[in-house]
Amino acid sequence: MKRRVLVVTLILAVLAWAGWRWTQRRPGLHERPAAVDTASAGFRAVQLYFASPGGDSLVGEARELVEPATLHERVAALVRELDRGPARGGVAVLPAGTSVRFAYLDPDGLLTVDLSRSFVQGFHGGADAEYLAVASLVRTLAANLSGVKRVLLVCGGEPIATLGGHIPLDRPIDASDWP
Amino acid sequence: MTRPAGRLAPAAAALALLALLAAGAPAKAAGDALETVPVTRVDGVPHLGANELARLLDAAKFWRPDVRKLVLRSGAHHLVLTVDNPFVVADDRTLRLSSPVISLRGELQVPVELLESLPRDSALARLYYDPRRGRVVVLPAGGTLGAPRVAVIESATRITFPIDGSGEVTVANRSRQHFRVRFDAFFTGALPESLPGDGSILRLRSIPTSTGSAFELALSPEAQAFRIARSPRAGRVTLEFSPRLGPGLEPFAPEGPRGVRPIHVVVIDPGHGGADAGVTVGDAVEKDLTLALARQLRFELERRLAVRVVLTRDRDVALSIEQRAQAANKARADLVLSLHFDGFPAAAARGATVYCPPATFASRDAEARAGGPGRPVAVLPWSDVATRHAVQARALGDAVLGVMELRGLGPVRLRERLPLTLLGVNAPGILLECATLTAPRDRARVAQPSGLTDLAAGIADGIVAYQRND
Repeated sequence: MKRRVLVVTLILAVLAWAGWRWTQRRPGLHERPAAVDTASAGFRAVQLYFASPGGDSLVGEARELVEPATLHERVAALVRELDRGPARGGVAVLPAGTSVRFAYLDPDGLLTVDLSRSFVQGFHGGADAEYLAVASLVRTLAANLSGVKRVLLVCGGEPIATLGGHIPLDRPIDASDWP
Repeated sequence: MTRPAGRLAPAAAALALLALLAAGAPAKAAGDALETVPVTRVDGVPHLGANELARLLDAAKFWRPDVRKLVLRSGAHHLVLTVDNPFVVADDRTLRLSSPVISLRGELQVPVELLESLPRDSALARLYYDPRRGRVVVLPAGGTLGAPRVAVIESATRITFPIDGSGEVTVANRSRQHFRVRFDAFFTGALPESLPGDGSILRLRSIPTSTGSAFELALSPEAQAFRIARSPRAGRVTLEFSPRLGPGLEPFAPEGPRGVRPIHVVVIDPGHGGADAGVTVGDAVEKDLTLALARQLRFELERRLAVRVVLTRDRDVALSIEQRAQAANKARADLVLSLHFDGFPAAAARGATVYCPPATFASRDAEARAGGPGRPVAVLPWSDVATRHAVQARALGDAVLGVMELRGLGPVRLRERLPLTLLGVNAPGILLECATLTAPRDRARVAQPSGLTDLAAGIADGIVAYQRND
C-alpha cells in the first residue's frame, strides 16, 4: 500500500515538474522585460502650441525631441522648438530669439521661467500677438511638463511688467486660463 | 542622460523616423476644448498610437529595432510594446491583451484596453478612454465627472454632478449672466435636455477649457447667492443657487444699478504715445490713430450723451500706466475706454477685440452679510480694482462689439483678461482693439477719411446701448 502511494506521489510530482517546465517554455507568458536601454537615445513626443492664422486661438502641433535630462533642458527644448516656428498651419508668436536662461518648478506647481532679453526686445505687435505669445508659451509648458499649474515669466533675471503694453506679466499666470 | 558618440548616427536616423511619423498628424485646434486624442479602429478594435500614448504618459521612447520593441519610460515606470504581440510588459507585470500591438503606417498602435491595466499611482498619468467620443484623455486629479441632475428644493436650485475623485472646483466667473465653474475632472456625461422652469438656471452649457471641464450658467435675477458643497464620500459635487444670502453662501459679482445706467464722465485713454508708437504698418501709426479716434469719439459722446469726456492725453506724449489710472480715477470716471489698434504676424487676422476684467470679485458688504462678522474678507490688490466693475465692463464690451459687428467692423472677439491699461482703474472699463492694422482691409478702412468717424460713431452707439441697459 505504502509503495503504491509513493509511486502515485512520485508520478504526480513528475507531472507537476513537467507542467511547470512546459509553461516556462511558452513564448511570451514570462517574457523578461526588455531592459530600458539607457545607452541609446530616447525620444519624447511633445505638443507645441502656436497661434491660429486668424489670431483667434491656438493650434497644436506634435513634434519629437531627443529626451532632455533635466527640467531646465526640457523647458529650454520646448522654447527652442517654439522659436523654430510651426511646420504646419500655425503662426509663430513667440518673439524671435527667445531662449531660456533658467527654470525652476516649486512643489506647488509654480514654474518660474527666466527668458532671454530677446523675449521683450523682440516683440513687435498688438494685443492679440501679445496675448497669443503668452498663451503659446504657457500652454506649451503646461501641456508637456506634468505638475505645472502656474507659470511666472521673468526676463534677464528681472520681473517684467508686460510684453507689449497690453497684458500684465507681473504675476503668475494660471495655466488653465488659456483654452 | 549621456550618450556615446558612436551611437549618434542610429539615434539621428531614429529621430528622423519618429519625426516623420509625428509629421503625419495634422495641426489641431486647441481653442475648442480640453486636449483629447482620437483612437483608430482596426478590425473594430480601438487602438491608440504609441506616439500619443507616450506623450500622454509623459514618457520617453526607446525603439529597439532588433527585437521590434518600443520601450516607454516615465519616471520609475516602463512599458514594453512588441510589434504583432499581444503581451505587454508593464513594470514587473506581463499583460495579455485580447489583440496584439500592431504597426500601422509606420506607427505602433496599442489596443486601448491596455489603459485599464496601467499602473495606478500618482507618478503615472491616468488615461481614460471615452467610448462615446472615441477619444483618450489624461484624467485630471478629480477623475471623471458624470451627467448632472438639476432639482429645485425649497426655492433653491441645485445642480449635482457625480464625481469619482476629489478634484478642485473653482468658480472662474461670479457674474449671474456668465457664471462659470471649472472642475478638475473630465466630463463624461451629457447635459440635461431641459431645465426646471421654476429654477434659477436659465441656461447651462459646457465651455472650452485646457484642463478638466468647465460649464457656464446663466442665472435668473432671483438668484442672490451660491455655494459649492463637496461630498467626496458620496461621490458628488453640488452647486446651489439660493434666492437669499445666508451663512455659507457666497454672493455674485456686483452688477451696478438696474435700468438706465447713469453716465456723467467718460474717460478715453488713447493707447501708446511719445516714443512708444505702438503698431506701425506703412503710414498707419497706432499712437496717432488712437489719439485721432479719441478726439472723434469725444465729439460724438459730447454731442449725443451730454457727458463730460476726459482724454488721458490730448497730444503725442508718453504716459505711464499709473498716470493713465490716476487720470481716470481723478475724473471719477463712470466708464473708461482704452483705445488701441491691433497688429498680428498673419494678415488673415482682422477685426476688433475687447479685453475686460474677469468677474472674480464679490463685494465686501455682501460677503459680510453672507458670512457674518467673523467671516474673513479677501483682500483685493488695488491694481485689480477694475475687477469690482467686471459685470458692467463685460456689458460695455458686449454692447460695443455688438454694434461694431452690425456695422461690418468685425469679426469681433471678447477676452476676459484684465488688461494692463486698466490696472488701478476704479471704474467699469475695457481695452478696445478697434481694428487690425496688419490686415489690409482693416488698414484701408481706417485710412479712409470716414474711417475713424464711422468707428467713433459705432463705439458711441455701443456706449448708448450700454447706458440704456435694456
